[in-house]
Parts: sequence; C-alpha cells; structure tokens
Amino acid sequence: MPLILTDEEQALAESVRKFVADRSPLTSLRQLIASGEPYDADVWKQLTTQLGLAGFTIPESYGGVGAGYSALSVALTELGAGLVASPLLGCALAAEVLLRLDDHEARADLLPKIAGGELIATLAVASSAGGRVTASGSPVGPTLTGTVSPVLNGAEASVLLVAAEVDGATGLYLVDAGADGLTATRLTAVDHSRSLARITLVQTPARLLAGDAVAALSAAQDLANLALASESAGAMRACLDMTSNYAKIRVAFGQPIGAFQAVKHRLADMEKSWELGYAALRDAARAGDREPGRFGPAASVARVLLATAYAEAVVDTVQLHGGIGFTWEHDAHLYYKNGLSNKVLLGGPGDQLDRLADSLGI
Amino acid sequence: MSDDFRARARAWLAVNAPRRSAGDDEGAAGPTTIAAQKAFQASLYDAGFAGLTWPKEYGGQGLTGLEQIVWSQETRDFDLPNGAFFIGISMPGNTILEVGSEAQKKRYLPPMLRGEEIWCQLFSEPGAGSDVASLQTSAVRDGDEWVLNGQKVWTSGAQYSDFGAIIARTDPTKPKHSGISMFIVNMHAPGVTVRPLKVATGHSPFNEVFFDNVRIPADALIGEENKGWDAVVVMLRFERIAIGTMGGSRSNPLGYESLRDLAAGLGRTSEPGVRRSLAELYARSRGVGLFATLLREEAQAGRMPGARGSVAKLAGSDLARFAGTVAADVLGDQLAGFDSDELAAVTMMIVAAPGNAIAGGTSEIQRNIIGERVLGLAKDPGVDRSTPFNQLRVGTQRQN
Repeated sequence: MPLILTDEEQALAESVRKFVADRSPLTSLRQLIASGEPYDADVWKQLTTQLGLAGFTIPESYGGVGAGYSALSVALTELGAGLVASPLLGCALAAEVLLRLDDHEARADLLPKIAGGELIATLAVASSAGGRVTASGSPVGPTLTGTVSPVLNGAEASVLLVAAEVDGATGLYLVDAGADGLTATRLTAVDHSRSLARITLVQTPARLLAGDAVAALSAAQDLANLALASESAGAMRACLDMTSNYAKIRVAFGQPIGAFQAVKHRLADMEKSWELGYAALRDAARAGDREPGRFGPAASVARVLLATAYAEAVVDTVQLHGGIGFTWEHDAHLYYKNGLSNKVLLGGPGDQLDRLADSLGI
Repeated sequence: MSDDFRARARAWLAVNAPRRSAGDDEGAAGPTTIAAQKAFQASLYDAGFAGLTWPKEYGGQGLTGLEQIVWSQETRDFDLPNGAFFIGISMPGNTILEVGSEAQKKRYLPPMLRGEEIWCQLFSEPGAGSDVASLQTSAVRDGDEWVLNGQKVWTSGAQYSDFGAIIARTDPTKPKHSGISMFIVNMHAPGVTVRPLKVATGHSPFNEVFFDNVRIPADALIGEENKGWDAVVVMLRFERIAIGTMGGSRSNPLGYESLRDLAAGLGRTSEPGVRRSLAELYARSRGVGLFATLLREEAQAGRMPGARGSVAKLAGSDLARFAGTVAADVLGDQLAGFDSDELAAVTMMIVAAPGNAIAGGTSEIQRNIIGERVLGLAKDPGVDRSTPFNQLRVGTQRQN
C-alpha cells in the first residue's frame, strides 16, 4: 500500500492546481469577501462538471466517478492550498451519510444530483456546544425541533441531512431547505472561504432515513477528518512556501532574514511538522480506499497532526512576515483565519484525540 | 516477489530472532555479548538478510528498497541482537559503498555483513561537535603512511570495534572544510586508547578515543586527500537517515504501547488528560513512522531523501522528548521515587531522552540543514568558511 502518489494522482494534483491558479486565485476569494457571496457559482460548476469532484466518492452506479478517498484527498489538498470556497465538503459529507445508510430511495434520488453538482446538500450535526435537535411524532410523519450550528453551507443547501434524537437514540432525517419551520441564518465565519449557518427547526417535517445513523455519522466524521486534514496540508504548504520565499528576499541587518536561526529554525520546524502530517495524510487516504477497518484512526491521526501544525504555521506565517504580514492586503490573514477554523470545525483536536483513544481501546 | 520475501523473513525471524527485555539500553553494547552479536549477524548473513540493498559482489543481497521496507516492517516486533553492527553498516559501510575505492569495498564490506568486523565512527571532538569541521585531530603524511594524533569523543562502540572511519585535518592552512580527509583506522593499532565516558544516565554508551602517533597506510584514505568533507556529508546523511528511520520498537519503554500498558497498570487510563496524551503520542509516533516509510518509498522510486533525512532525525528527537513528557504525566509522583524495575526502566529513558536531540547532530544543526538544504534559505552568517583553519578560534574559549 504505497503512500506516495501514483502517476494518476500526480496528474490529478497538477490539473486541480492549474485550475485553482487559472480560475480561483486568492484574488477571487477577496472578490467573494467584497460581494458577500458564499462561493463563486461558476467555479463550483466547473469543479463539478469539468473535474467531477462532487462525485469522487460516489460510485458510478449513482452517477459519480468512484475515484475514491485518495483522489478526493489529493484534489482537496490543492483546493485547500488556494483557499477555494465551495460547498464540496458539505456535499461530500451528505453523500457519505447516504452511502452508509440503507435508504435506497434517498440514494437513488439524491446521489446523482449531488455528483453532478446540481444539488447542494449538507450534513447538520450538532457538536456538544452547537445545539440539539429532537425528533417527535411517529416514524411516518416525524417533525424536528431544535438548532444546529455551525452547518457547512447551511444557507445554500437545498437538502439537509439532520442528526436528531428521539427517545435517546440518534436518527438521520432528510429535510428540505424550504420545509415549514426551518430557518437558515448565515453566520459570520472567521474563515472567509467557508460559508456557515445556524439551522433552526420548529416542528419541521422530515423523513427518517433507513439505516444505522450512528455508523453513518461515524463514517462522515472520518471523511471530515480526512478532508480537513487534506485542505490543511495544502494550505500549510502554501504558507510554508510563501514564508520561506519571503525569508529569501527580505533583507535585514545585511542578510536575508532566512539566514538568521530565529527565522530559519521556525521554518525548519514548520517543514518537519508538515512532512509528518503529510505522511499521515497519505496513510489515511490509502486506508480509506484499501483498508477501511483502519480508516477511522488513520484519519484521526492525520487530522490531529495537520490541524494542529497548520494552526501553528499560520501564526508563524504572520509573525515571520512582520508588519506586512498583518495587513489586510497581505494573504497571510486569509490563511490564519482558515487555520483557526479548520482546527475546530467538525470537532477540534481534543475531540479527535478522545475519538482516537476510543478506537485504540485506551 | 516482495510477498515471497516477506514470508521468508517472517519465517526466519520467528525461529531465529529473540525479543529483548525492555529497558536495557546498554545491552547491545556489553562486551560479553559481542561474540553472540557476531554469531547472530553471521546467521543473518547466511540466511540472506544482511546488506539487503548492497550489491552481491560486496556481500549484499542485491535487492531493492521494497524488500528493505518489508524487512523493517517485519522486524518491528523484534529487537535483533546485532546492534553492534548498526553503526558500521549504516554509516561507514554505506559511505565506503558510495565513495570508497574498489579495493576498500572488496576488503571491508563483506566482513561487516558476515559479522566478522565491527566498525565505529570517529567524528566529534572535545572542541568540535555541531561545528565538526573545526576538528583538530591531525594526519600528517610520512612516506607511505599517515600519522594520526588527536582525540575523539562520543564514540559509540569504540571499545569493541575493529575499525573506525575517522576524519582528521590534513592541511591546516586551508579553510576548515577544505583541509579535512577521511581514513580507515585499525582500532587495534598501537597508539589507540579507548576510555569509557559516563553520561547522565549513569551508563557508558560512548567512549573517548585517543590517537597517539597512530600509523595508518596511505591506501586507508576514503575518497581524496583534503576532500574528506564530501565524505563527511555523505556519512552524516546516512547517519540521519539511519537514526531517523530506526522506528519505534514495541519494547521501547517510551513507546506508545509501553506507556499505554504502564498507564493501565497504574489505573490512570480513565483520566481524560492521560487518554489524550497517550492518543497524541500514538498520533505523533505514527507521523514519524509514516514519514520514514514515505522517505523509503521515494528512494525506491528514485527520489533520494537527501537533506530530508534531517527532518526524520529532528522528528525522532522531538518525539522522544514528547514521549518523555507523556511518561512523566503518566508516572506522576512515581517518577520522583520508585522501587520497581519497570518504573526504573521508564525513568531511565526519560532521563536519557534529551540525548537524542544531541547525538548524531543536534536538533539545532538539523534545523539549519532543513532550512538551508530543504527550504533553500541563506546560510548562517559567518566568517569562518573562507578563513584558513590555523587562523580560527575553535572549541571552548575560556576568559581569564
């Protein structure tokens, strides 16, 4: 099970990198900040139709590409490096949940549309501090009440898969964004490349999806860990490259600042943390495709290492650039905010370590 | 192909390779066990598991990095009792293979693999550690021989080594990197004195070695005269890769498995902080281990690790330090005083942990290498790269 990229994966990385450079450079993120749009609809259309990214983890029988976790990870690494705003992660998590449940009707209806980029779906699952949803009524006509926050692309999704509790058990429910009693309020996201919302449900009609909700949510958490680790790996590499390039051209005390150990050693530590995290990421991506039994802990390891390393790297990126790195015009703050958000979104390092300890049987 | 190799390795290890009892960091170096280590290395050679990637004409197996990866995976649960050969094969051995003469390769490489001759590495000096190029040991040409004088320190295994790879100054009028040569020295030659050095743990894993008019033949030169620094760079690269890719054996008292069992034994695994510390140790260990795997895979694919071996070395030292803090958390006040062998072994490893960040090139030097040769940053500002060595200040300068 080699960790290194196959020729095919290398080619995929290059084509996504080229796409990002051509179609979604950091200047376009600044345009989104100015316009308030959650993402660029044209970019999303091309990501889904041209590159087929929304269908990477969806089998061909449901209209996807069936490329697998490793391919998705490779693509997300490049998108992460460019801080490309898109509803891909929410869609991928919704698709994962549908694939793990046993609701054939929902799969057949929704997966082809998600794969084709025609439908934006998302997963609404509350963290401990993020609210609670309860289901009531008979299984035939249940309604949901409560709040979930933050929900990835919750204000843009037309379909939400909501985790809710009934009689102490967790179920996954399909909710239409236009359903009665549903309010989606866009949050102020610290990360400019992420659109997040609070979903409030008041006796909102929903359909209980057939299948093991706990197992499906666990699988979604594993995929979320892989995805956020991938994006963080790409973004951290971008920070490292940006900062070491600056350390080569910025001169102080008669030397390029990279000559000074105070600067050099921080960058060396950043390089080290990136290498370890990237190796763990490749392991998780491969395990996802080839050793599913090992995917959970491997994805937790990658997430813990990269989320932590990236969150430190973004602070160092600002610091090593000096004053210029703290200006609005410089890109460092875009990564800084992305790093803050990636670390905590869908369960921070503490949650992931608890989860890892569980899976290791500690 | 590699599956056949894996099956063969697994079968041989199951029958022939013992498991070391945890915590004896001197075990591999005890002179009484040297005969046993030589016998084990010989059996490894006879079974076709020595020098996996070395060419057959020098006693190797002529296999690829793939088999090397399989071998390190399969040996993870064993502590092969041939530690005395580790330095010789991975450092002087690999260096001779890369830059040595044909005659040196034929003479010295096969006996290493066959378990007949043990080697050490003689680089550091009292006045030249991180800045090893400021070494003062001298080699002066005298007819068909060189005459060595000086002192080396931190020499692992010198007390039982048959040969050493030594660097000495052959031209003090040249700048410090340009007047160094590397030689093969017979450790049994007249004028070689080996004395054990006691370190913080109370053990003596290293020696200091004195050279007093030691005569070595002209053909003992490795590479070219005054080009020894090139060979040093090669050997240090192998050293970092060797240290960085040693991987965690499961019997390491500071390894994840050992500390998890220790915490369970002390009834502390239900504490959230201890659970998280252990999970983080697992995650960090995996990162270090997987990076070593990635480096080996890249080498197999033709992309040599080069200076990224320093990343492995730095990461391994950082991991040992972190494992020390996790172990201290797990032990709590049992660290301060104990009367069991198990706790003594763990505590000894905690005491030993800082040594990892010094031996084989300090973490500060690794960070310099990563910064300069991996990231391409400017070299440290300094005046000593162009000044003739005999005009430099070196070593510890005491103020009167």
